[in-house]
Amino acid sequence: MEKVIRRTYSVCPVCGRRLDARIVVKNGATWLEKSCPEDGDFSVLIWKNKKSIFSWYGEAEELKEGESERCPSACAEGGLCPEHKNDTCCVVLEVTERCNLHCRYCFADKKNGPDIPFEELRREMAGFIVPGKTLVQLSGGEPTMRDDLPELVAAAKELGCKYVQLNSNGIRLAEDESYVKKLAEAGLSFVFMQFDGTDDEIYKILRGKALFAVKEKAIANCAKYNLGVTLVPTVVPGVNSAAVGDILRYGVKMSPAVRGVHFQPVAHLGRIPHLPRDESRFTLDELMLEIERQTDGLVGDGNLQPSKCDHPLCGFHGDFIVKQDGTLYPLTRKRDDAACCCCGAENPADKNREFVGRRWQRPEGDCCAPAATEDMQDMDYFLSRLSSHGFTVTSMAFQDAGNLDVERLRMCSLHVAKNGRLVPFCVNYLTLWKEPA
Amino acid sequence: MEENKKLMCNRCGVELEMHKAYFSYLDHSFNTEVQRCPSCGQVFIPESLAKGKMTQVEVSIEDK
Repeated sequence: MEKVIRRTYSVCPVCGRRLDARIVVKNGATWLEKSCPEDGDFSVLIWKNKKSIFSWYGEAEELKEGESERCPSACAEGGLCPEHKNDTCCVVLEVTERCNLHCRYCFADKKNGPDIPFEELRREMAGFIVPGKTLVQLSGGEPTMRDDLPELVAAAKELGCKYVQLNSNGIRLAEDESYVKKLAEAGLSFVFMQFDGTDDEIYKILRGKALFAVKEKAIANCAKYNLGVTLVPTVVPGVNSAAVGDILRYGVKMSPAVRGVHFQPVAHLGRIPHLPRDESRFTLDELMLEIERQTDGLVGDGNLQPSKCDHPLCGFHGDFIVKQDGTLYPLTRKRDDAACCCCGAENPADKNREFVGRRWQRPEGDCCAPAATEDMQDMDYFLSRLSSHGFTVTSMAFQDAGNLDVERLRMCSLHVAKNGRLVPFCVNYLTLWKEPA
Repeated sequence: MEENKKLMCNRCGVELEMHKAYFSYLDHSFNTEVQRCPSCGQVFIPESLAKGKMTQVEVSIEDK
């Protein structure tokens, strides 16, 4: 028994041509199916039906006949098209092709080419920064390979960038405290740090070496200069999918230095060790279930809700306060009366940017002793604790050539800056399937 | 500060007193001290509270 629940478009993962696609429920799971006249049929697992995909879709707008006809090729060539449904929440700016790791999976798969000249990056930033609004993610490669990164942060702030985020593996942040100090002084807002677990065996498999002590040192150095750190695990089935609970508990233990955990189920973009199979995918519903199961109720059912800034199948978010006893006080709860995002009151991309900015950036003077008694109903205590110990549990499920869905793509709010254009993240890093060397 | 002024209840003619008031919003409950008439129970919410802490609380618990 199978049922087509949605129609959309995708691409052939081999030749890249645009194809009709169907979202099909069968055999207790949900699949994206498509057929290429040259390369054959493809059926890719997208949801394991651990949670209802119908309720998760919610009111997400279905693709209609004749809409987004040139997606994804149009944005790959010319940047966001007029039919794109969302504004920019965050801009990814690649600042180097160098890296000090060679990870098993890497969406960027840089080849250690020369650094992009500083002035070129400044011009690129001047093109997309909206003063008082923009959130830029400095990415790479490994951005900390650049000695002039603090100057680049300062340049972003001078151009009016509201939030400057560093995407990093944390190695230099651990080894070079004076560099962290310079980044903080230059106006860096927060750090997104690769963090795949608390067990070095995981790092040896995914990153090629033991790195847990390095991560701890990087968090400590960032804490010294009041830089909030969000832990970013790449979740790979069979490698660290059983460690999501440990990662979350570690993050909570390290609050307020750590501001949240942002899970990224493995996506087959850039450098991939083998062609993706269904068993190498970790779906969003499976991740949520594992978070709930592995944390023994620390995060409960309903505390993680679909992304409103992107398509619901692209991610989830949960907002919490870390209480004095180390448990989480949930702010996100499933509600039937939840305010919808389509009422025109506020742009979802703007709302999300301000939300993550408030949570991931540590407040100034975050040093006060906790109140003797904890009363979350006391308005003053609640606001103070939220500011100091707010904690987010979020996820972004990137799309690859197998599961790419134009309905999702046209709602993307994470855009890569590329020669004066903004390109949706999953289009920019889209990698066609060929047998890896 | 408007919340520190001594205010009289227009209806009862008695001076308001500081009292803990409870607010509910989206399944969450909060309390804070506000001025209240000891006779009829009506409370005075100063603009600074409505536009300050109450707004911050609302924004923080609304779905992002």
